[in-house]
Amino acid sequence: MALLEVEDLRVAFGASTAVDGVSFSVAEGQVVGLVGESGCGKSVTSLAIMGLLPKGRGRRARRPVPAAAAEPVGSGLKATTAAPQSITASGGRSRGGADVDGRAVFDGTDLLSLAPAAMRRRRGKDLAMVFQDPLSSLNPVVPIGRQITEVLERHRGLKGDKASKEAAHLLDRVGIPDPARRLKEYPHQLSGGMRQRVLIAIAVACAPRLLIADEPTTALDVTIQAQILELLKDLVETEGTALLMITHDLGVVAGICDEVNVLYSGRVVESAPVRELFARPTHPYTIGLLGSIPRLDLPIHEPLTPIRGSIADVIRWHDGCAFAPRCDRVAASCVEGEPALVGAVHAHRCVMAEEVA
Amino acid sequence: MLRYTVKRLLQLSVALLGLSLLLFAWFKALPGGPENRLLPENATDSQREALRAALGLDEPVWTQYGEFLGRIVRLDFGSSLSSGRPIATELAERLPATVELSLAAMLIAVGLGIPLGYLAAKRRGTWLDFGTVSGSLLGTCIPIFFLAAMLKVVFAQELGWLPTTFRLTAGADFTDVTGLRVLDGIITGEFDIAWDAVKHLILPAIALSSIPLAVIVRITRASVLDVVGEDYVRTADAKGLKPSTVRGRHVMRNAMLPIATIIGLLLGSLFAGAVLTESVFAFGGIGSFVYQATTERDYPALMGFILVIAVFYVVINLLVDLSYGLLDPRVRVRK
Repeated sequence: MALLEVEDLRVAFGASTAVDGVSFSVAEGQVVGLVGESGCGKSVTSLAIMGLLPKGRGRRARRPVPAAAAEPVGSGLKATTAAPQSITASGGRSRGGADVDGRAVFDGTDLLSLAPAAMRRRRGKDLAMVFQDPLSSLNPVVPIGRQITEVLERHRGLKGDKASKEAAHLLDRVGIPDPARRLKEYPHQLSGGMRQRVLIAIAVACAPRLLIADEPTTALDVTIQAQILELLKDLVETEGTALLMITHDLGVVAGICDEVNVLYSGRVVESAPVRELFARPTHPYTIGLLGSIPRLDLPIHEPLTPIRGSIADVIRWHDGCAFAPRCDRVAASCVEGEPALVGAVHAHRCVMAEEVA
Repeated sequence: MLRYTVKRLLQLSVALLGLSLLLFAWFKALPGGPENRLLPENATDSQREALRAALGLDEPVWTQYGEFLGRIVRLDFGSSLSSGRPIATELAERLPATVELSLAAMLIAVGLGIPLGYLAAKRRGTWLDFGTVSGSLLGTCIPIFFLAAMLKVVFAQELGWLPTTFRLTAGADFTDVTGLRVLDGIITGEFDIAWDAVKHLILPAIALSSIPLAVIVRITRASVLDVVGEDYVRTADAKGLKPSTVRGRHVMRNAMLPIATIIGLLLGSLFAGAVLTESVFAFGGIGSFVYQATTERDYPALMGFILVIAVFYVVINLLVDLSYGLLDPRVRVRK
């Protein structure tokens, strides 16, 4: 049994679905990656697990209901404009809240069904999160020492000198020199890399069993990125923490992950152990992602190879493969109903996979 | 912090110097000149010259300005044209009443405005939000003198719940310590006096608080809405902190920055609002004095008032800026 089992997670913001049935698991001491471009639902997935999405109207996200007469995907504008109505069975206005459905079983408890107060007792203690932008993620008017000790106070009952000592120890643990002095400083007095270390120190303050890192290196420059990844790797290895790594950067994936889930338009389109994925990418989207990485061995003026088009605002997997409009290998069978996720260790969601391979 | 304070103090003295220059220019630009007011119309030119020399008006403008400045520094604003008493004395006697009224109004505005604004932001889009925002719009629309008069008619005259005028019941035997009646009553242990003063304060304070209350509600609402969307609030939630900790330490501490600025500005403008409220309730503060000075064209009195208000305004702004340094470490460290 893995530490975290996410089963058929769905998140909808009013009429639009952001995550459409995502399942994956993270075991203790394992690093699992969620990869995909902006808008594929990877951050929403992590926020849903943490219970940090603004509350919706209590209505649980339902499986999108197919339109009575499903329109072919490739029919352009008409299909796009018709999509919102076809997606929501029970439309309705939303105040920006999220409707979440599915299960996220953490150590035997479904986090999604916990009461807010019970979830607050676990957040920051059993499961913690490191965010993308280290400057905006720290409170500008509170000394960083206080921002660390408040979590120690809340979950470990440490106060005063004891808490400060532990905070200094944590800063030292994440590689911040002269920690006692730093405790009194404010976020704006630290560099970007230091701030991210502080955020990591806050996240690991109560030795969480699961750490979720949402693009932890995106806002940092390359050398600092490497240091932060080293630090996270070290935490996983020495503490046995499970790490869910959310990133769009395949370099990060190759450097740290054991398992990878590639997300597209709210669904997992391919999942595999990291070596397997890089050796034998199967889904055309994964292949496109790998192909779009700039290569050092090509001539300088060689143009980059992007995936054409951009991710659709509206998920419409029930019509067929959501990636089909951007896919080079699209065939008629791609738009005949939902493609299933096939395979166990190396799974993919592409009806043309045999041909691709 | 010390350097910042000194720098701000220097800026303050420059602002006050500029103000004195403006006032002096205004005084000089008044038509006629004082000798025409003091002498009968049939006075001879030599009599006028003699008086001008006696008043120092034949001196170069800069010498006159220097003397003017010297008198201001010595708090010598001259005598009131209507009462004949020194203006400084008049102001000093009346200032505590206005300060007490302004503080009471600000207490109401802050005490109600911040929680209401916070609730409106938290329950955005609900009837509570709608009611608060429309209420604050109404608050800014009703003229103070009208609101004051209405409050007086309804709660004092018709219902008789509260007194109509003055700061204390006539003939009350009070001890003067600070001039703030409520505070004095508490300090000296004369709680009946303090309570009497509170009752006299309620209606004028409510009237005077309407505009600052409305402004604080709206600023708080906007500021809280801004802050709750910030990443660091999400971080605080991710730590599993209690909602009260998130609210106090992470949301309100940041949301207070714009609110503090507005409170400072409003406190200055309350003095202007006090003119109308005090005259309705015969409150006997600076406001009533100015009302009288304006109707009787008592220019020296007006000038004294303007100076006092200006100093007040500038000092409050200094305090706000300093508190900003306390609230926001980024301001403190910036050189």
